[in-house]
Amino acid sequence: MIRIAFDIGGTFTDFVLHDAGREVLRVGKIPTTPQHLETAVLEGFDAILAAHEVAPAAVTTLLHATTIATNAILERKGNRTALLTTEGFRDVLIIGRQKRYDTNNMHLDKPAPLIARRHIFEANERVAADGSVVAPLEAASLERAIAALKAGDYEAVAIAFLHAYANPAHETAARRAIEAALPGVAVSVSHEVSPKFREYERTNTTVANAYVRRIVDRYLAKLTDALGRRGFRSSLYIMQSNGGLVTPELAQAFPVRIVESGPAAGVLMCAAVGREEGLEHVLTFDMGGTTAKLGAVDEGEPAITQTFEVDGIDNRRYSGLPLNVPAVELVEIGAGGGSVAVADRGLIKVGPESSGADPGPICYGRGGKRPTITDANLVLGYLDPDWFLGGAMKLDPQSARAGIEAQVARPLGLGVDEAAWGIHSVANSNMERAMRIVSIERGRDPRRYAMVAFGGAGPLHAARLARTLGVPKVIVPVGAGVGSAIGLLTADAKIDVSITRIVAVEAEQIPTIRSIFADLEARTAPDLANLATGGAVRWRRGAYMRYQGQGYEIRVELPLGEIGADFAAVAVAAFETAYKTVYGYADSGARVEAIDWFLVATIAGLGERGATVRQLIGQGGATGSGRTSRRAYFPEAGGFVDAAVVDRYALKPGERVRGPALIEERESTTVLLPGDMAHVTENGHLLIDILGG
Amino acid sequence: MTRTTGDIDAITLSVLWNSLLSIAEEMGTALRRTAFSEAVREGDDFSTGIFDGRGRLIAQGNFTPGHLGAMPYVIENVLKFHTPESLKPGDAILLNDSFLGGGHFPDFFLTSPVFRDGRLIGYAVTTAHQVDMGGAAPGSQRVQGISEAYQEGLRILPIRIVREGRFDEDLMRMILGNVRVPTKVRGDLMAQLNANHVCAERLNRMYDAYGEDTMARTIDALLDRSERETRAIIAKLPPGRFEFEDYLDDSGPGTNPIKVKVAVTVGDGEVEIDFTGSGGTVQAALNSYINYTRAYGVFATRCLTQANLPNNEGSFRPIKVKAEEGSFFNPRFPAASGGRAAVQIRIFDAVNGAFAKCIPHRAMGAFSHWANPNIGGVDPKTGKPFIMYDMLLGGYGGRSDKDGVEAMSPVMNCSNIPVEVIEHTNPVRIERFELIPDSGGAGTYRGGCGIRKDVRVLADEAVLTLLGDRHKFAPYGVFGGGEAAKGQSIVYSGNEAKELGSKEVAVLKRDDVVSLRTSGAGGYGPASKRDPKRIEQDIADGYVTEEGARRVYGRAE
Repeated sequence: MIRIAFDIGGTFTDFVLHDAGREVLRVGKIPTTPQHLETAVLEGFDAILAAHEVAPAAVTTLLHATTIATNAILERKGNRTALLTTEGFRDVLIIGRQKRYDTNNMHLDKPAPLIARRHIFEANERVAADGSVVAPLEAASLERAIAALKAGDYEAVAIAFLHAYANPAHETAARRAIEAALPGVAVSVSHEVSPKFREYERTNTTVANAYVRRIVDRYLAKLTDALGRRGFRSSLYIMQSNGGLVTPELAQAFPVRIVESGPAAGVLMCAAVGREEGLEHVLTFDMGGTTAKLGAVDEGEPAITQTFEVDGIDNRRYSGLPLNVPAVELVEIGAGGGSVAVADRGLIKVGPESSGADPGPICYGRGGKRPTITDANLVLGYLDPDWFLGGAMKLDPQSARAGIEAQVARPLGLGVDEAAWGIHSVANSNMERAMRIVSIERGRDPRRYAMVAFGGAGPLHAARLARTLGVPKVIVPVGAGVGSAIGLLTADAKIDVSITRIVAVEAEQIPTIRSIFADLEARTAPDLANLATGGAVRWRRGAYMRYQGQGYEIRVELPLGEIGADFAAVAVAAFETAYKTVYGYADSGARVEAIDWFLVATIAGLGERGATVRQLIGQGGATGSGRTSRRAYFPEAGGFVDAAVVDRYALKPGERVRGPALIEERESTTVLLPGDMAHVTENGHLLIDILGG
Repeated sequence: MTRTTGDIDAITLSVLWNSLLSIAEEMGTALRRTAFSEAVREGDDFSTGIFDGRGRLIAQGNFTPGHLGAMPYVIENVLKFHTPESLKPGDAILLNDSFLGGGHFPDFFLTSPVFRDGRLIGYAVTTAHQVDMGGAAPGSQRVQGISEAYQEGLRILPIRIVREGRFDEDLMRMILGNVRVPTKVRGDLMAQLNANHVCAERLNRMYDAYGEDTMARTIDALLDRSERETRAIIAKLPPGRFEFEDYLDDSGPGTNPIKVKVAVTVGDGEVEIDFTGSGGTVQAALNSYINYTRAYGVFATRCLTQANLPNNEGSFRPIKVKAEEGSFFNPRFPAASGGRAAVQIRIFDAVNGAFAKCIPHRAMGAFSHWANPNIGGVDPKTGKPFIMYDMLLGGYGGRSDKDGVEAMSPVMNCSNIPVEVIEHTNPVRIERFELIPDSGGAGTYRGGCGIRKDVRVLADEAVLTLLGDRHKFAPYGVFGGGEAAKGQSIVYSGNEAKELGSKEVAVLKRDDVVSLRTSGAGGYGPASKRDPKRIEQDIADGYVTEEGARRVYGRAE
C-alpha cells in the first residue's frame, strides 16, 4: 500500500510518501503556487514518485491538509454569501458578543463580519427555546427574501433561525424553498452545521460554512480532475480541524470543519512521536514564520476544543470570529521568525506584527526593513548565514545587525548583541506565557510532559522554553520540517457530532437521553456510510455538563452500551470526578445539567499506526554545512562561545552531544544549551534532556 | 540571565515585566475558573493586582478598569487599618466599603501579604463583583428610593478574614448570613483567595530566579520608567485648560438632571481632571465615590492620550483626579452608590469632550449610553424567582479617521448575554434585538447606531428596574458632528404605550412588551464633508435610511 500525504501551506507545499510494503518514507517540499495550488501538488507528486520509481496508479491513498478555507476567511475572499435569519434579529452577526479584545484600548475595531449587513435578510418565523413553534414560517416573508436573494446573485446562502437547534422545521422548509427557487446556490443551515445554542456563534459558524463552500468545491474539483488526468486512481481524504480524516464529499458539505486542517495534522504528528518514544503526555510547539502554535496531547490523545476563534490577534479572546467546530486545541500567538521587534517606551516588544515571508526579515535581503526574531537569531549565531535551508538561501548578517542596532539597540542604550539577545528572550517570554496557558492554566503540570518542537523556528527556541517551564525533555522529530504531512499518515477517519439539549441529568430524563443519543447516531449514519472504509468503528460519547446555574460546562465522557436506569447516576458521578480534577472540589448534591451532547466515531484503517518515521532514517539527503563550530551567544557560558556544529543526519542512534551546540538539518537548527544533553533515539528523533539551568 | 551592574538593562526589564503581567493574568484565570457567580465568570467583572512591599502597584491584569484604578487607594486604606508590621504569612484582609473601596458594596477587595523567608515582599490583591451584598434589592444596585448606604446591604471595613491560610468561620458566617446567595459569595471569596495564592507562589519563584536585589531594582526602574514615559507623552500634548459640560438625565423619576462638569488641565507632564462644579450628592444610589471617579478619570485619560502602558503606580502618578468633597463625584459616606456603574460611560464622555479641544485626532463623538435593565419575578413554570439581568451595549462615536464602531462594549468591558441563553433561563421572549437605523450622529465620520431589544414578559407579573441614561440629553457630536438620537424605554401594554424614565422602576404584566432602545453615538466632523460613497454604503447596509440621508446629509432624491 502506497500513500502520499500532502499539506499545502502559505509558503511551502509538503509531501510525504509512505510505502508500507517496502518500509520506506520519503519527504519533499516545494514552494506553494498560490494562483493554481494544484500545479505545485502535481509537481511535487511527480518528483516524489520519480524518486520512488512508481507510477501514479500505484498510489492507493492520498491524504490532504489544506489552508484553502482558512485563507478565504482570513482574506475575506469567500463566496458571495447571504444570510437568512429570524425577523427582528438581522444584526446578530453584526453585533457579535461585543467585548473588546483589549480593555485598555478604546480605539480598536471589532473583527469584521464575513458579510455586510446588506446581505442579511429576514423571514417571519419564531421557535421558542423548548422547540415549540411560536410563529409559523410566513410564506409571504420567505418569498420576499427569496426575491431579494435572486436579485443579489448569491453563490451561497446561510440560514440561521433562532433556536433552530431545538426545532429545525423552519430552517428545513426555508432551505427547500430556496433550493427550488435558486438551483445551484449552496445552502447551509445552522441546525446541521452547528446545532448548538448561543445564536451569534451558531450563525457565524453557519455563515462561515456557506462562505467557503463553493471555494472548497471548486478547489477539490480542480484537484481531483488534475489528479485523475495524471493517472491517479487513489482515494482522497481531507484532514478536518478535529484531527480526523473525511472524504471530499463530507469536506465539501461542511468545509468549515477543515479550517484548522494543517495545524491539526501537526499535533497528530506530535502524538505519534510521543507514542513511538513511549511518552503519552506531550506539549506541542510549532513555530513558523508568523506565529507560534502551542498545543497538548494527553494520554496519547490530542486535546480537543468544541469552539475556537479564527483570524484572532495573539490569542486574545474576542479578537477573532468564533467557530463552533471541534478542533485540536491550540494557542496561537504572534511569535514567528518574521515577528517584528521594536523598542517601545523603554521596553523591547516582539510581535504580533510580522514581516511574513515577503518581504520577510531584514537578513533575507528581500526588502525587509524591520528587525525580526530571525534577524536576532542570526546575530546570535544560532543560524548559519551560508546554510539556511541547507544553503538554498543566503542570509545577510550585516544588514540584520544594522537594523537591530538602529531600531532596538540604540533607542534602549544596548549593544547590538545584547539587543539581539533581548529580542530572543522577549520572544521566549511571550511563548512562555502562551505555554503556561496551555499547561499550568489548563491543569497540565509541565514537569510531567515532554515537548515536541517543530516548524522552522521551533527547535531554535524549544530548549529555553522547556527550561523556564520545567519541561524535562524536548524532542525534535525526524521530518520536523514536514510535520503536518507526517501527521496525516497517522490519522484516522473521524466523525464528530454534537447538539444542544439542555436536560437535567436525573433518572426521569433517561428516555430523553436515549432519544438524544439515538438522534446523534442517526446523524452520523450517512457520514459513516460515505466513508465506508470497512474499518472497525470505535465510538465515544458524552456531554458537556455543569451544576445548574453555572455558566461554564466541562466535558464528560459517558459509558457506551445500553442506557439503563442508572445512566443518570453514572453520568453525575462522572461529572463530579471530572469537576474535581479541574477545580479541586465538587458540590455533591447540587443539580447537574447537560447542555451539549456529543458522539464521536473513529474508524481505524486509514492511518496505519505501523507507519513510523523510523523509515526515514538515512534519507535526509543533506550533506551538512561542513563546519564543526561557530561562535554563538550563550549568556550562561559568558556570552559568545565556540559552539559545536553537528550535522543531525550524521548522528548515530545513541551518540550523545553536550551543549552548547548547534545541531543542524536542512529545515532547521536545534539550539542545545550548556549543560543539556542530546541524542538520536532508535526511532531517529533528536531527544534533548534538559539538565542545565 | 543577563548579569547587570548599576542600572537595570532593558532586557531584564522587558522579561520581568512580561513575567509580572503573566502572574496577573494567571491570577485572573484561577479566579475565573473557580468562581461561582455569573458576574465573575461571564462578565469578567473582577481584577487582579500585584503590589510591592512598599504598597506600590507593580502590575495588573487586563480586567475591569473601575477596580484597577481604585486598587492603589484601597491598599492604602487597608494598610491604615492593618499596618504591614501586624500582617503575618497566611493572612488576608477583606474590605467592601464604598468609600474606602470600589465605590459600592458588591466589590470585594481581598489583600494577601506575600512573604519570603518571613519578610514581607509584596501584596496580592483581587477584586470581584459579588452578585449580592444584601440590602433593599437583589443585586444590591437599586437606584430609586435608596437614600443612604445603610440600605444597600452589608458594609465591611477592612477585616482579617483569613489567618494562617484559613477563613475565619465566625466572620464568614456573619457575612453569609447577610446575603441572598451565600453559596456564590463564599465560592467567589474562595476563588479570590486561590488567585492570591497563585500570585504569592509565582512571585516567590521570581525572587528565587532573579534575587531580591535585581527584583527591587527592577521594580524601581519599572515604576520610574513608566512615570517618565507617561510624563514624556503628556508633555507632548498641547498645554492648557480644557473644559466640558454635560448632564446626566436624573437620579430617578421626578428628579433633576445632574451636571457633569470637567476641566482638564494639561501642563508640565501632568494631567489634572477636575470635576469641580458638577452636581451635588443625590438622594439615590447613583453617587460616584472618589475611588470610582478617579478610576474612570484616569482610565479615560490614559486611553485618550495613549499613555496607557504599563499599568502601574508610576504611570498613574502624573494623572490627578479631583472633585469637591460632598459632590456627586466625591460624596461623603453614607451616600448611596449601588447603581454607580451607570456613570462610568459619562465620566469617559466628559473627559473625552474636554480632551477634544486638546487632542482632536484622538477624541470621539459621545458613546451610545448602555442600558443595564433587570426584570425580576416568579417563573410560572418552576414557581421560583428569576432575575433577567441584561446589558445593552451600543455604538462608539465617530473618530477622526473612521466611523464609530457598531455595537461594542464601551468603557467597562462586558459581553452581551445571548438571546437563546436568556430565553432558556427566564420566562421572557425577546422579540427584537437589532440596530436602530438613523440613530447614529451624522458626521464626516458617523457615530454608531443605538441598539434595540424588545422583551415580552411571560410571567404573571414582573418588576422592571431600569439603569440607563441619555433619554433626555443626547450624546454629543464633536467638531460639527451631529448629536445622536436619544434613548427610550417604552412599555407596550395591550394598545397602550408608556414611556419610562431612564432609571425608573415599573411593574409589568403578562404579555407586556418592554422596548429598550439605547441612544446612538455622536458624529465626528460636519456631515456636509462626508464622502458620498460612505452615505451610499450606509443606505445599502441600512444603517441610514434614504429619508435619513436626505434629512441629515442633504442627499438628493
